[in-house]
Amino acid sequence: MKPRFLIVFFKEFRETLRDKRSLWLLAVATLMYPILLGYFLNQQINRATQPEREGIALTVIGADKAPTLMAQLKQKNVTVTALPPTSDDAIETLLRGRKTVAVLRLSDSFTADYAAMRPARIELWYNSASDTDARRRDIDEIVQNYSANIAGARLLAHGVSPATMAPIKLQRYDTGSNAARSAGVIGSILGFLFFPAFICCLSAAVDSTAGERERRSLEVLMSQPAHAWELIVGKWLAAGALSVIGLTITLVLAHAILSWLPLEEIGMSWRVTSSDLALVWLASVPLSLFAAAVQIAIAMNAKSFKEAQSTLSFITFVPMIPGVAVSMLELKTATWMYLVPMLSNQTLLREIAKGEAIGSLPFVLTFASSAIAALAAVAFAAWRMKSERYVLAV
Amino acid sequence: MIEVKEVRKQFGAVQALGGVSFTARDGQITALLGPNGAGKTTLLRCLVGLLQRDHGSIAVDGVDPAVHPIAVRANIGFLTDQFGLYERLSTREYLTYFGELHGMGKQDLAARIGEVSSLLQMDDILERRSKGFSQGQRIKVAMARTLLHRPRHLLLDEPSRGLDVMSTRALRVALAALRNDGCCVIMATHVMQEVSHLCDDVIVIAKGCTVAQGSPQQLCERTGIASLEDAFVSLVGTDEGMLA
Repeated sequence: MKPRFLIVFFKEFRETLRDKRSLWLLAVATLMYPILLGYFLNQQINRATQPEREGIALTVIGADKAPTLMAQLKQKNVTVTALPPTSDDAIETLLRGRKTVAVLRLSDSFTADYAAMRPARIELWYNSASDTDARRRDIDEIVQNYSANIAGARLLAHGVSPATMAPIKLQRYDTGSNAARSAGVIGSILGFLFFPAFICCLSAAVDSTAGERERRSLEVLMSQPAHAWELIVGKWLAAGALSVIGLTITLVLAHAILSWLPLEEIGMSWRVTSSDLALVWLASVPLSLFAAAVQIAIAMNAKSFKEAQSTLSFITFVPMIPGVAVSMLELKTATWMYLVPMLSNQTLLREIAKGEAIGSLPFVLTFASSAIAALAAVAFAAWRMKSERYVLAV
Repeated sequence: MIEVKEVRKQFGAVQALGGVSFTARDGQITALLGPNGAGKTTLLRCLVGLLQRDHGSIAVDGVDPAVHPIAVRANIGFLTDQFGLYERLSTREYLTYFGELHGMGKQDLAARIGEVSSLLQMDDILERRSKGFSQGQRIKVAMARTLLHRPRHLLLDEPSRGLDVMSTRALRVALAALRNDGCCVIMATHVMQEVSHLCDDVIVIAKGCTVAQGSPQQLCERTGIASLEDAFVSLVGTDEGMLA
């Protein structure tokens, strides 16, 4: 004979798979985050690597007045498009179209001023609302260098060393490694990777407890020859299974996307191997079961389906709090963090992503802390279901 | 056989059962009559061990539901005042679920579903999901679930509500067949016609206490009133009878 909790499990699982609403929720919760994440990171990478590949598109008005500058721009991989004199409005329209990073306009008196050694005016038109700031700064720098070169040549002609112009030399050293620089960003990415564990089981947990009670079929079920714990365990495993499925999809998809993207281009790295991920996944299975157990324990105590839903949608965010608090207080990774469900999973994956060697204890603690909490919640729910007050409310 | 002696149950300050005693015999259909709020649901819940009594004794074939609820439930078919269907399961899946919970094997279950289905004339809805079922179809499914595991005891809370004439007749035939098989049937109902047609024994409870037990004939004789309905009203006290 099949164990009764398995009978309940299969029935609840089958019923949930027939509920289109909860399947949609599952799909959205699991697929949306990794896909959005991949999309945004990909955008950033594109933006960072675009100038190298395509060069900087620059429009110059009055290009023939400064042939040396044009030559220097070309050397720096800037594609210059020359334009005849143009009105201010036309320049604005040009910038809004984003075909060009900036517009240089040499004033009409440029040649005369240059020859007379008066400051020769060059206008730099750009749109700070567009995301071309880095490339605009490159052009800025080229023009400044051009200016400094001319100044140097003029000083030299007067017998003064150009070094007079640079009393201080600033040398920059950046010691940040890719992994350390990405720790912050990756850390916040990881914060949400485990979130589907709490979302995916939500509708099954509410439906099989508060929902079943509201549809008045729970009394019938409780009058069957099955112990309260068998009913609760079956419902718990059904909700937990959905959560495990959701978490697995999210982790695998996010891992595939993060491994595939050339994160080094934006100063980040993802040093998690597939076997690392499998271990993290194994240590995180109890997190899904914990989520389902807590939601069932809370939902069955709610007075109505609606109350269960609204209470749980708040409570779903509670596990995120420790992670947010730790990153806000900038706490160093400590062993106690592996004892808090959700925080433990986030910490575990973050340490591995940083490339740290952590040993097996964090894995064991992460697994055990969620597993024990899950069993406690299930025991509470089963005890509650047996109580007279609960039967009366059925 | 179900024997109930001096069962009392208190919820806070409310006395739900104040001393119920009766014996429901095998091979008989026993009607449970009482106005709304008389304590019928509480009594039935005590019989399946969902609620613990404060006082008295209950024996279902000699087994106390407070001590061995699982053993008692395995031998009871309980039709509650709610149908308890699952909209996303077909009738066959629904019956299979409860049959499995009772430990029935696959083949036995398939054969038995066929039996109860033809008994209750519900072959047409066997493969349909219960969403959109009529009241009559719902109670047939619930009744099929109650009979599925061949319980020796049946606790039926208003089994004929919502049934049309043909289905009511089918139900009566089914109940009579169960009686002939030697089952012990307790049926809570408000339909006096059904009681006089079908029931061998009547228990009248009011305000949580047994007021009378006997055959419909005996109750009429005891009150000296010819109609069972008037006899019932007189037994539970006029005011409450009017409310019911």
